[in-house]
Amino acid sequence: MAETYDFLFKFLVIGSAGTGKSCLLHQFIENKFKQDSNHTIGVEFGSRVVNVGGKTVKLQIWDTAGQERFRSVTRSYYRGAAGALLVYDITSRETYNSLAAWLTDARTLASPNIVVILCGNKKDLDPEREVTFLEASRFAQENELMFLETSALTGENVEEAFLKCARTILNKIDSGELDPERMGSGIQYGDASLRQLRQPRSAQAVAPQPCGC
Amino acid sequence: MEYEDKVGRPSKPPSPKQNVRKNLDFEPLSTTALILEDRPANLPAKPAEEAQKHRQQYEEMVVQAKKRELKEAQRRKKQLEERCRVEESIGNAVLTWNNEILPNWETMWCSRKVRDLWWQGIPPSVRGKVWSLAIGNELNITHELFDICLARAKERWRSLSTGGSELENEDAGFSAADREASLELIKLDISRTFPNLCIFQQGGPYHDMLHSILGAYTCYRPDVGYVQGMSFIAAVLILNLDTADAFIAFSNLLNKPCQMAFFRVDHGLMLTYFAAFEVFFEENLPKLFAHFKKNNLTPDIYLIDWIFTLYSKSLPLDLACRIWDVFCRDGEEFLFRTALGILKLFEDILTKMDFIHMAQFLTRLPEDLPAEELFASIATIQMQSRNKKWAQVLTALQKDSREMEKGSPALRH
Repeated sequence: MAETYDFLFKFLVIGSAGTGKSCLLHQFIENKFKQDSNHTIGVEFGSRVVNVGGKTVKLQIWDTAGQERFRSVTRSYYRGAAGALLVYDITSRETYNSLAAWLTDARTLASPNIVVILCGNKKDLDPEREVTFLEASRFAQENELMFLETSALTGENVEEAFLKCARTILNKIDSGELDPERMGSGIQYGDASLRQLRQPRSAQAVAPQPCGC
Repeated sequence: MEYEDKVGRPSKPPSPKQNVRKNLDFEPLSTTALILEDRPANLPAKPAEEAQKHRQQYEEMVVQAKKRELKEAQRRKKQLEERCRVEESIGNAVLTWNNEILPNWETMWCSRKVRDLWWQGIPPSVRGKVWSLAIGNELNITHELFDICLARAKERWRSLSTGGSELENEDAGFSAADREASLELIKLDISRTFPNLCIFQQGGPYHDMLHSILGAYTCYRPDVGYVQGMSFIAAVLILNLDTADAFIAFSNLLNKPCQMAFFRVDHGLMLTYFAAFEVFFEENLPKLFAHFKKNNLTPDIYLIDWIFTLYSKSLPLDLACRIWDVFCRDGEEFLFRTALGILKLFEDILTKMDFIHMAQFLTRLPEDLPAEELFASIATIQMQSRNKKWAQVLTALQKDSREMEKGSPALRH
């Protein structure tokens, strides 16, 4: 079954163990909370075609294992990622404290231009909060990240996080800041846009030949 | 008048219903509601011809129903016989394992007969024993050592929960923070190990056992510590062994070269294992191998989860146990052979998929994966490549990568 889309973006979901990365992905793909969740070993995947600013974009999402020890493995999955959800748990300062390390990995291994959105997950557990909204938004500002507090349980801001990241990448393509043709940009043209792009070129190539019709 | 006439008729033929029923030694249940009645007495009787026709139709229906039900009964009988046969063969297998094989383990375990029986699956009642014997205890771990390690782990948990920061000085170069993180992660992961079974979670019957084994292991091997995936292995062992024996099997299992390479996350060595896997992949499934290459689907993407959890997370539990059975018999090679068996089983579907669909499919296998078909598929996988066996291919690749590390091009022609 052929899917048509204008662009394909490779997305990462990164952050410490137990912050709810797989649950965010599950909520985004299935529109429900993953009750009996396992921990991810290595990497898991999800994909969804979304409509952003009049363009259809296929998101190819790599959901990585959170344990520190697995970083040497998961790092090899960063290459060619266009966007990333950097996830911490608002009820765990420890997961917040390791954000800088995750961010460095993403910028050095994926691409310096990778579009990252910071997600303070488990927003529904506000009474147990250890990281304030203000503090995290300051961190986001200093590091030029977008920022949302999300809840994989209720679904609050989950769709928004993925879409916001995709919209920003599209804007950067439009402004020329991102070049989809560059190797490792994490962006591929889909069938729909390939046809538009190729038509003029192939028309030229075909022109000198005698046309049968 | 007519009524009396009828009733008084002395030569009343037996009701066709009784007639038919009497002739059936097997009474079709589905026709009990189907009763051939004479026309009510206040109505004119059926003409003989019509009555005859109805009787005939009725009999035909009963015969059809009888046929159907006989067939169904035969099917059920066959099913029951099959189940009895399976149960009997399991019963026989238990006897064979208990009376013949286990008492003569050293001499018998590698015999043809035992190997064949092993492939069929070890009966659950002897599974733990067989696994323990096959995994062995190279490390000479005693029950006392387990108790000591567990006592240490408990001490740590206590001092952490009371917030005591004066932990004895750092051993093996691990900071208190790391250790704390590791213990926290164990707690977190236990709640996420076979969550649907509801036996390992807080308050479940096996929660403390799982906690004990993982905690004791971090004290026994602080250099390895707790690594995600371990909780699944420990859980499967707990389902088949007592706590101390499960710990012994767990520690010895993790000490095998392949498991050590993965759980220490020795990336270079892991890549060597993947490379060896690819040699056999190309040999056994060249078309699918080319399709994976074309789509940049590297083996680490699906193998990491399969190897780290020994398939216990990705396959149905009873099927995973059967994989463990043969893994205990054949060693690490069987883990990779199983992977190829899975790929072969789904080759037709996979060749029609693109990268993301393959990756999604392989990291979330169908829940109803049929055991017999998978084992039949695994049986067809040849673990020989140009006359080289798994171990030889792996050793050659390890040698290659060591020479590469030395960075001496002279050594590589």
